[in-house]
Amino acid sequence: MSTEQLRSAATKPGTGEPIIVCEGVEKWFDSFQALSGVDLVVGRQEVVVVCGPSGSGKSTLIRCINRLEKHDRGRIVVDGIELSDDVRKIQEIRREVGMVFQQFNLFPHLTVLDNISLAPRQVRHWSKAKARQKATELLERVRIPEQAHKYPGQLSGGQQQRAAIARALAMEPKIMLFDEPTSALDPEMIKEVLEAMEELAESGMTMIVVTHEMGFARAVADRMVFMADGEIVEAGTPGHFFEDPQEERTKQFLSQIL
Amino acid sequence: MTTSPLQEPIPVPEEGPPITQLGPREWVRQNLFRTWFDTALTVLFSLILAWVLYRAGRFVFVTGRWEIIDRNLTNLLVFRFPRDELWRVWTALFILAGTFGVAAGSAARARDRAVAEGRVAPAQSGLALRRFGPFLLLVAVLLYFAGSLSAFLLTTAVAAVALAARFAGYRVPPNRAGWGLAVGVLGLVAAFAAILGFGGVGWDRWGGLLLTVFLAVGGIAISFPIGVLLALGRRSTFPAVRVVCVGYIELIRGVPLITVLFMGAFMLGFFLPPGTETPSLETRALVALVVFTSAYVAEIVRGGLQSVPRGQIEAAYAVGLSPVRTTALIVLPQALRAVIPAMVGQFITLFKDTSLVAIIGLTELLGVSSIVTSQPDFLGQGLIFETLVFAAFVYWVGSYSMSRESQRLERRLGVGQR
Repeated sequence: MSTEQLRSAATKPGTGEPIIVCEGVEKWFDSFQALSGVDLVVGRQEVVVVCGPSGSGKSTLIRCINRLEKHDRGRIVVDGIELSDDVRKIQEIRREVGMVFQQFNLFPHLTVLDNISLAPRQVRHWSKAKARQKATELLERVRIPEQAHKYPGQLSGGQQQRAAIARALAMEPKIMLFDEPTSALDPEMIKEVLEAMEELAESGMTMIVVTHEMGFARAVADRMVFMADGEIVEAGTPGHFFEDPQEERTKQFLSQIL
Repeated sequence: MTTSPLQEPIPVPEEGPPITQLGPREWVRQNLFRTWFDTALTVLFSLILAWVLYRAGRFVFVTGRWEIIDRNLTNLLVFRFPRDELWRVWTALFILAGTFGVAAGSAARARDRAVAEGRVAPAQSGLALRRFGPFLLLVAVLLYFAGSLSAFLLTTAVAAVALAARFAGYRVPPNRAGWGLAVGVLGLVAAFAAILGFGGVGWDRWGGLLLTVFLAVGGIAISFPIGVLLALGRRSTFPAVRVVCVGYIELIRGVPLITVLFMGAFMLGFFLPPGTETPSLETRALVALVVFTSAYVAEIVRGGLQSVPRGQIEAAYAVGLSPVRTTALIVLPQALRAVIPAMVGQFITLFKDTSLVAIIGLTELLGVSSIVTSQPDFLGQGLIFETLVFAAFVYWVGSYSMSRESQRLERRLGVGQR
């Protein structure tokens, strides 16, 4: 599928302008090829949900976008900056790209408030008061303002993940990446995290979400991307993707998880 | 039909967890005399314990000839230190009492606030005695041997200053984290300056417990940062740095401390540029202790660094922190906290290993303990027993206090983590 086709699948108003461009991205772990020629263009304010069987390269793809993994071939351009070995450019991109992890990865030695205000103070050089103000606002937004002075270990999984979303948002990123954000959560906590993500999508954030939550995908995604064996097999609007999948592998996958 | 146990009515559960508290009689029966074998063991070990306590008590209070300690107390504490300069040591003690008091006060305030906010559990009661008990016992023993009113009054004054400073430290609101720690470090430096500076007494004339404390504190303060840097260097992405650090660590860890001490004492001169004055034996001993300990500290810190999950580093990178900031703010704090027990263990080892400098001719606490038995009044009377028990007691108080403080620190830093 050509990048032009993928790009045209972005349907939201005002999403024409591409903010992430991946072209022929390849990634190898020793002799295992995790990504084999991935092309993906994401428009501003677009919400892309990536799904696929485990080991299909979904996580690797989004980890390449903020350079937690180094891609071996192809190009990745984020907000007009091409990813290369240039450390300053990597830092610049990471400032604009927030990430939420499956295992939350909150800093256990800092309170929730400090977790959130650390990066704005250190990287954006905000004053302590401003960073704390912002952190408090974000905690209200994800509905856990009363947890501000606790340590991550004292929070439930759902609260930790919402704190992690707040931490990523504190840097005022243009793009948010979600790497299976609800996979490590107990069922009753998944909803609260998905709600926070839904609100974020409504606010116009550009998002790439790797998830198995198909209800969320149907409700929120502008575009579905199905990956298998390191390739994008099929992409399209949720309507097309769920009701009328074209590829055999997609049909098979959907029949297994729906 | 017989009723099986399963068909019996289930007793209504009582409210709250079952009570497991035993009365003293019950406790003794349950734990000491449960079976005939338990009873036999209890009796046997009671007898052994009673015999040991009797012998030890008899030695300390009846047969021990403590006159040698009584007469040599100042020697044991400072040895060759000029007697008319002793006011400097007292000044240093006053400075330490003041600054550590302020630091303790501000720490207590921060802790109380954390407890009030529900971030940490309140301290256990009765902890203060276990924490300060041995130290107070040491002070009492020293005052007993000193047996002078002036020493008693000065000690009381030091204690008063410490308490007043703690009170003041609690009142002053610290607006920056680590403020109390900075005051403590400043106090340490000022205390050394009070003895060394202003026409003071160079450490080549220090001895006894003063030298022991100097070597231990100096060794810890210098080897800790060097060890951390070595550990970070060992994980560096620059091969040259890595090779140097690995080489240093593995070389030093392969050599006994005594060898390092001898090399420091007799060979350091060869490594210095020609023409430079050879530093004092005390300095050379300190260098040797630092060289040795920093290699072990590095390995301990490396273990801590490895225990920090990869996800922590990724999360720090993802919010835009640079590798240096990630190490300083995310990785090191977690790594160091994880290795507090091993680290303090190493420092306790260093504290006790300072006694080895007696071999290269320094007269720290252990050195003095053996020298004083050769004084004309005490020669050939087997009094090494008394002096060694005294030295052992001092070492024990130091080691035990360090291990207690490390447990406190662990509990405090570990709160709220799973």
